[in-house]
Amino acid sequence: MALRMLTLSRFSKAVHLFRTPANRERVQTLRNLDVFHDLTFKEALEVDELLHERVYEKGEIIFEEGDIGHGIFVVVSGRVRVDPSHELLKSAVLEIGPGEMLGELSLFEEAPRFATVVAAERTVMVALLRAEFSSLLTKNTKIGVKVLVRLSSTMCGRVRRLLRGERHTPSL
Amino acid sequence: MNTFRQPGAVTMVVTILITCLVLFLFQKIIWLVVPGLLALMNYYCLRPLVDRLVLRGVRRVWAVAGIVGVILVLTVGIVFLLAPQLLTRIARLQDTVDHYLGGGQNLLRRTIQTLEEVAPVLKRASLDRKMDLQIQQFTDQFADRHLGKLALQLLIWLPSLFLVPYLTYFLLMDSTRLKKFLIRSIPNAFFEKSLLLFARLDESLRSFFQGLLLLTFLDTICLAAGLFVLGVSPALLLGLAAAVLSWIPYLGSALGCIIVVLVAATDFPDRPTIAYICLALFLCVRLLDDFVFLPLTIGRKLHIHPLLSVLMFFLGATVAGGTGLVLALPVLGVMAVAGEIVAQVVMDRRLRSRYRAARDLASAWTTSRDGRSPQLTRNSLD
Repeated sequence: MALRMLTLSRFSKAVHLFRTPANRERVQTLRNLDVFHDLTFKEALEVDELLHERVYEKGEIIFEEGDIGHGIFVVVSGRVRVDPSHELLKSAVLEIGPGEMLGELSLFEEAPRFATVVAAERTVMVALLRAEFSSLLTKNTKIGVKVLVRLSSTMCGRVRRLLRGERHTPSL
Repeated sequence: MNTFRQPGAVTMVVTILITCLVLFLFQKIIWLVVPGLLALMNYYCLRPLVDRLVLRGVRRVWAVAGIVGVILVLTVGIVFLLAPQLLTRIARLQDTVDHYLGGGQNLLRRTIQTLEEVAPVLKRASLDRKMDLQIQQFTDQFADRHLGKLALQLLIWLPSLFLVPYLTYFLLMDSTRLKKFLIRSIPNAFFEKSLLLFARLDESLRSFFQGLLLLTFLDTICLAAGLFVLGVSPALLLGLAAAVLSWIPYLGSALGCIIVVLVAATDFPDRPTIAYICLALFLCVRLLDDFVFLPLTIGRKLHIHPLLSVLMFFLGATVAGGTGLVLALPVLGVMAVAGEIVAQVVMDRRLRSRYRAARDLASAWTTSRDGRSPQLTRNSLD
């Protein structure tokens, strides 16, 4: 009986792996991103369902200053250039690379973006919409809290560097 | 800060016109629309349960298969359990119909007699005799005229109703993937606003179906309580039947009312007052439903002005008959949200120019990848 259960379990795992090789790689990439770093494989798989992958060509605008933001973008590969008009952001890091996030303020309020962001090279990004983030927070509190803590920690770091007058990545 | 603008007059008119067109088209494929809507209703009702199971560590596929499986087994079980009784009743349907129509005929006769006593002019019109003759004709030919049609309609509808569990399963399993698949085809420039459109559409549909269930529950409780106090049985079953029938505005309500009054008239042949009170109860619940419950549940959740709701009922009925009446509000709700967002996206010059620029960049990238010299044809951002 135990042998049969073991065989069934192995078979189930084998089928699962066979069916989702692309997912494994993709989810692993997600877990390497700072904001999703605390998630387990299963949790990252759950979050992956909510994310939207977008590819931007070099020079393509991701969002413009004044646009009403509806979600957050995380750079998976490539680089993006921030083009702010606000004086306070002039000293900020204006090139953002893999693992960094953009537009996190719009996850918490429907407000205009603070700067224009353009792809500096061919860039792959994942986006998470505010409505989907809210549903994640209510439906799966454990994942929601982990993501929220990471987001808050990143934002705290950015604000601290800004206050110390150090070069910082801006929160947009 | 709420930056979502109220729809303008032009957008609203276009939305109403598109709603009428959609209602007209739905009427043509009603055999597919009804199972689709039932599957959607199941989806919005069962989704919280699936999410809860997933949250407890059950894999989505097992959670969905389990829930849909349980519902399927319950349905099949109920059908098998009720089938013998149902077949017996169908065989005796003529007798049952005669029994209840007899009760109704008795009630009508008594009512006419009372009216004739009050107004002797009616006696000269011999209403009593004419009504007896007409009811006799109706009951005599009921089986020949209606049962055959009813059986044929059931045969036409049954196969398409088998689509309901099938569609429900795939909606519960793959709705997120389906949504992502649709969103993938949207250009980057319109991406964020389109995501907003999907979120709002989802919210509108969820609100409508949950509102409809709440409305049915309130109707059932009010009718069943009234019928229970009057001693008409089975109160709960009658209340539920009338509440479900009222999903079809006017026609469904009238049918529900007739059934309740016929049952009351048959159960209390010597007390026509009970049937009259049932009729009054039904009218009160309908008024309560149309003016209190409906705006509080469906109307308010869809953010549709009551005047527009009533106008849309009439327009829907004119364009697509009964189908239009039933679907007018939900389709208008969805179209209003979609229309407003599409208008915002299409009218946004910045987004349009950003789209044109991105298209040029993409074609330049493809050209350079294919070994030709990259060349930007224009910069639409200027």
